[in-house]
Amino acid sequence: MTAYETVVGLEVHAQLKTRSKIFCSCSTVFGARPNTQVCPVCLGLPGVLPVLNERAVRFAVMTGLAVGSGIAERSVFARKNYFYPDLPKGYQISQYDRPLCSGGGVDIHVEGVWKRIGLVRIHIEEDAGKSIHPEGRAGVTTTLVDLNRAGVPLIEIVSEPEIRSGAEAYDYLMRLKQILMYLDVCDGNMEEGSLRCDANVSVRKAGAKELGTKTEVKNMNSFRNVERAIAYEAERQIGILESGGRVVQETLLWNADQGTAAPMRSKEEAHDYRYFPEPDLLPLDLEPRWIDTVRKELPELPHQVRERLTRDLGIPEYDAEVLTETRALASYYEETAGRAGNGKLASNWIMTEVNGIRNKKGQTIEEFPIRPDRLGALVKMVAEDRISGKIGKQVFEMMLTRPEGPEELVKAQGLLPIDDESALRALAREVIAANPGPVAEVRAGKERTFAFLVGQAMKQSRGRAHPEKLQDALRKELQAS
Amino acid sequence: MPIDAKVVHDVARLSRLEVDPAEAPRFVKELQSILAYVEQLQSLDVSGIEPTSQVGAGVKTALREDVVVPSEVREEALEQAPDRDGDYFRVPRVV
Amino acid sequence: MSPEAPAPDTAESIGRLVQGRERTAVEIARTYLERADRSAARLGTYLHRDAARTLAEAADVDARIANGETVGPLAGVPVALKDNLCTRGVPTTCGSKILEGYRPPYDAHVVERLRRAGAVVTGKTNCDEFAMGSSTENSAYLPTKNPWDLTRVPGGSSGGSAATVAALEAAVSLGSDTGGSVRQPAAFCGVYGLKPTYGAVSRYGLVAFASSLDQIGPIGRTARDTALLYNAICGRDERDMTSRAEAKPVALDDLERGVKGMKLGIPRDLIAEGVDPEVLASLERVAKTLAAEGAEILDVTLPHARYSIATYYLIAPAEASSNLARYDGVRYGFRAKSEDLQSMYAATRGQGFGREVRRRILLGTYALSAGYYDAYYLRAMKVRTLIRKDFADALGRADAVLLPTTPTPPFRLGEKVDDPLAMYLNDVFSIPASLAGAPALSFPAGMTRANLPIGMQLVGRPFEEGTLLRIARTWERTESALRVPPIAAEGNA
Repeated sequence: MTAYETVVGLEVHAQLKTRSKIFCSCSTVFGARPNTQVCPVCLGLPGVLPVLNERAVRFAVMTGLAVGSGIAERSVFARKNYFYPDLPKGYQISQYDRPLCSGGGVDIHVEGVWKRIGLVRIHIEEDAGKSIHPEGRAGVTTTLVDLNRAGVPLIEIVSEPEIRSGAEAYDYLMRLKQILMYLDVCDGNMEEGSLRCDANVSVRKAGAKELGTKTEVKNMNSFRNVERAIAYEAERQIGILESGGRVVQETLLWNADQGTAAPMRSKEEAHDYRYFPEPDLLPLDLEPRWIDTVRKELPELPHQVRERLTRDLGIPEYDAEVLTETRALASYYEETAGRAGNGKLASNWIMTEVNGIRNKKGQTIEEFPIRPDRLGALVKMVAEDRISGKIGKQVFEMMLTRPEGPEELVKAQGLLPIDDESALRALAREVIAANPGPVAEVRAGKERTFAFLVGQAMKQSRGRAHPEKLQDALRKELQAS
Repeated sequence: MPIDAKVVHDVARLSRLEVDPAEAPRFVKELQSILAYVEQLQSLDVSGIEPTSQVGAGVKTALREDVVVPSEVREEALEQAPDRDGDYFRVPRVV
Repeated sequence: MSPEAPAPDTAESIGRLVQGRERTAVEIARTYLERADRSAARLGTYLHRDAARTLAEAADVDARIANGETVGPLAGVPVALKDNLCTRGVPTTCGSKILEGYRPPYDAHVVERLRRAGAVVTGKTNCDEFAMGSSTENSAYLPTKNPWDLTRVPGGSSGGSAATVAALEAAVSLGSDTGGSVRQPAAFCGVYGLKPTYGAVSRYGLVAFASSLDQIGPIGRTARDTALLYNAICGRDERDMTSRAEAKPVALDDLERGVKGMKLGIPRDLIAEGVDPEVLASLERVAKTLAAEGAEILDVTLPHARYSIATYYLIAPAEASSNLARYDGVRYGFRAKSEDLQSMYAATRGQGFGREVRRRILLGTYALSAGYYDAYYLRAMKVRTLIRKDFADALGRADAVLLPTTPTPPFRLGEKVDDPLAMYLNDVFSIPASLAGAPALSFPAGMTRANLPIGMQLVGRPFEEGTLLRIARTWERTESALRVPPIAAEGNA
């Protein structure tokens, strides 16, 4: 059986979170009533001209710097000419042979191995509007056009064909999204369309130098679907090659319900976009000093936060990964750990207890009712052995619905631990008296039954008994009588 | 590459221009003569010359601040639509 | 005519009458409306007139003055606007069927400026469709006639704007110039036409033809009128990223300073052949007169200028093919009935655009298409750099370049309309300045024996419109009184 290598390049379009559109002052808010966020410029009326949004440029440069791209001191806008009802001017203002950013990369971590996926380029362009094709009504043969989205700024991030599997693609997309959200330049929401992905997929015999014929796969609306589509397409291509056929270069649309990709219908002649420099915009000249300022003002990136947390708070890489999923979660953790005085313990509590509840309820960390001040105080109590972990969990549950802090709750609920030796000895004597049978078994040498006695004592103390000291007391009482 | 009827047909399709078959020969002839005229540019030595796509290139120009300014001309603009469905522009269906 | 007593039917004299409350804006507007009522139909100058609206605008100006508001020199002055300038709520067709009935929901920047200045709009003037043409015969609606000879063309593409000023139907007008479309009709109609430095006037609201070349230009009967109108529209506009703050108003007093010590360069290499003898004679007369006024005349060369037409007719159609892609019947304008989208596009554009426009879209699309971009569009952009450099060199040695505006006097209607290339060759003297982005002014320089206007042209350094107007004003002072074509003299009050 020949071994094949899957070769994938991803093109990601990310909507930039500017307040206004890239070439006009219309709002970019998602979900507005159709054609209410439009003006003569983004409607492409006769006589209008584009005026470039400064923040769109800043966000694009931030992204390039964050992934280590080179920022062009001069980049050029270009017109990409084609006809479509949601493209008002009949051309899209984009960038062609002189993009804003070149090179750079995203580090991915798959099956325990770190690997860098190189980037070809990042450029700025405008989004098109939306075409809606009403389905189903007999005799309905129209398309409806909403231009609210026309003119929203996009960056297009093109990777080198260095991705080797659906799983790698998934990790790449997760980490790219994470970077964009740490920078706060994009919402990263594939369902809402603020993040979109097309995949170029080819296969070749393992060890071969030349690239195979690639197909373009579109219409994947989630990272999972990107992963599945790549796996599907790679397998399909391998199947073709194995049976002596040749892969046809074409564009395929992923069908998530069926788990297959089919060629786009109505195969028109390949687009000739007739790119030429946009004469209504001057070349974009950026001063090195300005670029440096943007670089200095970059917020901490995910990998920088992870490094800092593992170094300063003594948590393993795995924990750092989980806790830096979003910047908000990382801040939450950091504050909690600071208050608790114990990085690892804080990490455990958040990864298990906090995330457990959040996942069940679909809550963001910002929505989670226990804030770092209370959680930190609770974890500190456990860290200092003032309450047991078990009691701590009870208090945690209470704090979900009650506003009081852990100290207050422990006192009010009478949950203070019992670690006074005489109290524990008294408790032990009670349990021994109430369980003659098991006591006899233990005295006979059956160690397992000792755990039963411990459990009974714990139950009686409503979990408040200090575990080690309780066991100590039990043994002493057993010996004594 | 000389212009012929097929080239004109292809370019017309690219630019979404219906060209009446009766008209086509005339277009072919006219475009041929214009392109023959512009051939003279091929004789010039332009090696090392930067193209001018904008005479204003290099002029420092301030960019627009990211502020929302709602447009008040929405209804006036939508009124011009050849076909409308409520809030939407309507066109024959994209195949 | 002198600055102290400007000739009648000029913006300057009207402005003073209105400011001095000797005449009301409404009275002035009525006079001009009545003239247009008499001649506009015969001349074909307008695509849209609305007397009620014009009078309402004039009444508005009178009210502002009555309120004690200080008004500028254009208050109450009748101005005509080329129909490719967006006027809110008023039909703007660009001479095309594809925009029949289209009413923009906004005013062009220059229109906003003129309204603020109190100018009164007489109407939207006829033009070659989407500004593509040199005779106004490409208007989808009607041809415009030259007021000096109704069997001849007024020039184009701003033929309506030039003819209406020449015929006294408006005091001044705005046109647009991409390869000569303000200067050439100004020359053919015997009036002044200025193409400002590229970027001097905001293009926001000018329906785009070729974005890197288009400029809105003032047309007037005198140099000072032309300056007044330029002053009212020039300068940076936030809505046009290519517009420039360096563009400053011209001081009218400076126009009277004469040409002593100035250097004028004549590009003999460009004028070598194909120029009508009467046009050449006019050039010599102008040169001699200005020399007598103290200017030094020298020879300059523009070695690559003879490639201008070829260069222009690749760059302009290429940009136009893209600028006109928005006319697709989706959001405004004409839409052909069709069952599917692609046929709708093709039929809408095939039926809505005239022949010259379709020809240029095909040419431009071809020049940009895969495989041809380098040989055509890219190469043309490089030759453009060479032409710019020629001008920079020449204007290092001279303060302005002097040459004819056109190689011939106005030709007859129908004479060139079937031979596109012959029509293009008309633009040999006007295109070079457009490619260079340089300011260029056409001024009236005598008449032919057949009593047809001849125009001469001055090209200057960036943002030196004042220099060009000053030279033209000096020539103007040596001329006799302003000329009026017979059709306007007929009913002139």
